[in-house]
Amino acid sequence: MIDLKELILPKDNLIPLLRKLNKDARLVIPVKNDHGDTLFTEISDLDTTEIDLINQPQASLKPFFLPQQETLAHYSINSNQYCFTAPDAAIDTIFFGVRSCDLTALLYMDLIFSKPSKDATYYDRRNHSLIITLGCNNPFENCFCEATNSGPYLEYGYGLQFIDLGDRYYVSAGRGRGADLLERWSYFFHEVGEEDHKVRYQLFLEARGQFSRNIQLTHACQKLQKETVPDEIWQSLAERCYDCGGCAYVCPTCTCFSVDDKPQSSNTGIRVRSWDACTSDGFTRMAGGHNPVTRDRQALKRRFLHKLKYDFASHGKASCTGCGRCVDICFGGVDITTFIELFTRQQNP
Amino acid sequence: MTNSIAELEEADVLLITGSNTTTTHPQIGRNILKAVDHGAKLLVIDPRRTDIARQAHIHLALRPGTDIALINAMMRIILDENLADDLFISMRTENFIQLRDFLHRLDLKELAKITEIDLETIRKAACIYARSSKSVICYCLGVTQHTCGTDNVQAVANLAMLTGNVEKKHSGVDPLRGQNNVQGACDMAALPAVLPGYQSLEDPTVRARFQSVWQRELPRKTGRSLTEMTHAGKDGPIKAMFIMGENPALSDPHLNRVEETLINLDFLAVSDIFLTETAQFANVVFPAASFAEKGGTITNSERRVQLCRRAIPPIHNCRPDSEIIMELGHRMGCPGMDFNSDAEIMEEISLLAPIYGGMHYDRLAENHGLQWPCPDRHHPGTEFLHKYYFARGKGQFTITRHQEPSEKATKKFPFTLVTGRGSYHHYHTATMTRNSIRLVREYPQAKLEIHKDDCEKLNIGDGEMVELHSKRGTVQICAQVTDRVKPGTVFSSFHFFEVPINQLTVDVMDPKSKCPEFKVCAVAIKKVHHD
Amino acid sequence: MNRSFIPAQTVIREIIPENDQISTFRIEIIDKTILFTFLPGQFLMISVPHCGEAAISISSSPDALPLIDLSIRRAGKLTTAIHAMKKGAQLGIRGPFGTAFPVETFAARNLLFVAGGIGLAPLKSVIDHCLFQNGVEEDAVLSISLLYGSRSPSDIAFQRVINEWQEQGIDVHLTVDEKDEHWNGAVGRVTELLDDTRTANNTTALVCGPPVMIRSVIDRLKALGCEDTDIFITLERHMKCGMGLCGHCHLDSKLICTDGPVFSVSALTTMDVMELC
Repeated sequence: MIDLKELILPKDNLIPLLRKLNKDARLVIPVKNDHGDTLFTEISDLDTTEIDLINQPQASLKPFFLPQQETLAHYSINSNQYCFTAPDAAIDTIFFGVRSCDLTALLYMDLIFSKPSKDATYYDRRNHSLIITLGCNNPFENCFCEATNSGPYLEYGYGLQFIDLGDRYYVSAGRGRGADLLERWSYFFHEVGEEDHKVRYQLFLEARGQFSRNIQLTHACQKLQKETVPDEIWQSLAERCYDCGGCAYVCPTCTCFSVDDKPQSSNTGIRVRSWDACTSDGFTRMAGGHNPVTRDRQALKRRFLHKLKYDFASHGKASCTGCGRCVDICFGGVDITTFIELFTRQQNP
Repeated sequence: MTNSIAELEEADVLLITGSNTTTTHPQIGRNILKAVDHGAKLLVIDPRRTDIARQAHIHLALRPGTDIALINAMMRIILDENLADDLFISMRTENFIQLRDFLHRLDLKELAKITEIDLETIRKAACIYARSSKSVICYCLGVTQHTCGTDNVQAVANLAMLTGNVEKKHSGVDPLRGQNNVQGACDMAALPAVLPGYQSLEDPTVRARFQSVWQRELPRKTGRSLTEMTHAGKDGPIKAMFIMGENPALSDPHLNRVEETLINLDFLAVSDIFLTETAQFANVVFPAASFAEKGGTITNSERRVQLCRRAIPPIHNCRPDSEIIMELGHRMGCPGMDFNSDAEIMEEISLLAPIYGGMHYDRLAENHGLQWPCPDRHHPGTEFLHKYYFARGKGQFTITRHQEPSEKATKKFPFTLVTGRGSYHHYHTATMTRNSIRLVREYPQAKLEIHKDDCEKLNIGDGEMVELHSKRGTVQICAQVTDRVKPGTVFSSFHFFEVPINQLTVDVMDPKSKCPEFKVCAVAIKKVHHD
Repeated sequence: MNRSFIPAQTVIREIIPENDQISTFRIEIIDKTILFTFLPGQFLMISVPHCGEAAISISSSPDALPLIDLSIRRAGKLTTAIHAMKKGAQLGIRGPFGTAFPVETFAARNLLFVAGGIGLAPLKSVIDHCLFQNGVEEDAVLSISLLYGSRSPSDIAFQRVINEWQEQGIDVHLTVDEKDEHWNGAVGRVTELLDDTRTANNTTALVCGPPVMIRSVIDRLKALGCEDTDIFITLERHMKCGMGLCGHCHLDSKLICTDGPVFSVSALTTMDVMELC
């Protein structure tokens, strides 16, 4: 009897295994497209698709669970009848090649969308999903998941976690369905040897040593619980924020959204949920024009305090997973790492 | 641009004039801010305290329309401080002596007074710019949209040549192009006097070559400029127009004149992705495919020809512009309008325009495209222009003199109105951006920036409606109390059809470029009373 | 199925104009099998065809169910569309959402209501409920006073209801910012109506109005000796979901839709209330 919690998958068996998994579920894997971008993509043909397990996917898993735009309801207005119908249900999906930071973000989203009652659309998709992660042996340029405690390898939360040992994967089973899957397809795997353990541990240590940035995230979180951020810091950040919303859109834990009606004809329409960004001026502006938050001075205040102060206070963990995407995207160079550096450097008067 | 965008990041001094770069060219703004973070000095010339001006080490808040006086003052200071690059001037330029003599006759105090900037501030800026050998100038429509626009550009070029800040990496003069493919449109000769690749219409060799490929006799005379066409009026010489992706019924100055011209055409066809104000005058409207529904190339400010791939098929009956043109050509009996792919069109461009000579689709697909000039298949493209010689041989210094804007504030019209891009959220006449719920939410209506002191005098509160008058027209607009503009100056965008600000602007043009003076006109402000 | 985002159908039974800008829309849920209850202070997300949703507080008492009153001021696109609707037209509703006023603690206390403009709407729900409760001796409140500020005499909303309240023994004081020739009452801000007698011991104060008014009323009440725990305010914010998800109504670490809209001032003092003004 072999221990199903941890097994070795020879790399030659990866595609055959994925092919089997694809029979019962939609398969989503990072793929390098014609434009040179690596994105999570639904696989239609495993043999002709260029699976990219080297580069960081440019977008996180967020679009699959909280799409950039999704229909919440259809509405119609007929002879004074104004009624709503719900959209289609989700389908089974297996995500493969998910990085540790992105799964950590998904676990945070689980939390957000469970209060006060579960968001049905989100949980419908979530309950139809299985996440297979890939530990990062070579963290990317702007990554700092070490500082956010969400990588480079994970200890929980995954269905299965793959670690690349060169010619084979070290596979750990986490949540229920992951273990079921190992058992069902056990003939693709073999047992873990002493050497595999050693290699895995060595790679983990090496990965941790490769982070190029030292972000004092936890220190910033703790300092925020005790100290107020000087207005000058908010102001200097706000002056360089372009209001593009890019940080919130690429952020795997930014879940703020807007709901708008989009007429499809004079008497039908759809109610659409779409991503929004708390950095925008219109985010808090009320119908009469009054705005309780002034963008000129506080554009980024909500975003950073929410992630680093309030979430740290309520969950004991910041809702930043160190994926580094906002660092790449920010026009003004005022991403979360800039804030942390400014704030932690600042001395108490 | 003579430089590449990425080079800006390595520059030591960035002089930005007439451009709110972080708002209008965010990607370029990003490089500028990075340079600042690396220790570069940022100098901004702009009458308004724009977002980028707030980041500047020195903000030269000049009176609108006094760019030449300011640049001349800077050059005079550079001469006085002995900071001119004598070697560069003697090797690569001509006509310096005339410029020098002219500058020596100028009175610095007088120039400072004209610009309304403190002379010490000008002196500091001039020295910072001249002392570095990695100084870049970026300019945009704040420089060109004046009656003296061409002279403004010449003045800027004089300044760069005087200090030797051209012809090498990390220094140069960079006009920032507006629309995403306006550079490409110019390259392809959407200009009255040239054929694709800026080849003269009058050059017999060039003519012969185009005529042999196109199988057609080409017109001999230089065509008309945009404003000459749209402002011809009722009895203009042009009887029919085909307008593609342009909205002159909102974007051109003196709109009443534009409307008169369009209404009196015998025939107007418009091709656009939405039914614009201009399209509403048309006899025939072609629904065009958007950028996402077609392939092709887009050439950006740094002359980079970038390949775009179709993301989705055209919606409903929309068609790519190229198909619309081919179909029209075909029906009008023009031979050769039978390209089977975008790549085939590019092959003809490469054949006829030497600067695009090596730009084939298979090469553009690699990396992020190529920068012209790229004369042949093996050429790597050109990072920065004017490496060993200027396009015309030696750089020519030309004397530029300050001239007052065509319209000055008067007792009756005491404010100077500056127009331009209002925000990051709307683009041009907002035909596209106002279709986005989010962008409309962020910037729902036109605003008139008025200094808080002026507001106090006129008893105008933030968000109140005011009436704006010029000699040519009147619009109602929402006031925004601010310190972005100086007292006496007001600013508004031209994005909103409800507030056609160009009914107010003057239709006086630069005699050389035919670019209208959008940047200065005299207006009066009146509070609107609701009863 | 995501029922939480699917509104229930209601029909407008009656429209009562309150002033130039404000009307009360009396609606009823069409599907009688839907269980619907609420507490005074809670709000609904109202759907209007092609306009989306907006958060509107309920201005009637739960005792008036199945009828629900929504007093709406014409402010933006959606509310303008509602004002154009006629009796018999349909609206969608989701909810109720948010915290309520702690009406169960009001027995045998003096209640002081301070409102400005449309801010009377959520308080009206409490007042009506208390008047109803007064029939039951153990739940009865000791006294009810209302201080209500409006911009001008013609802006005074809920005039008809106010008259009824006065007949039922409520101590009502009105004030306007700008008087006209017919106005004999008080002129000035509602804060100026506050004095010692109205804030005696055993008083609970309930405040709703523009942010600046709330701020100054709280300061005045505190100066007169009211405890933070005895002052309740209700806040208004731009909202998209009502359920603590969309993030639009943030106030410091709280969300107005789930942590509010009703707050005791003691809960607010721990927050960065700069955003209040």
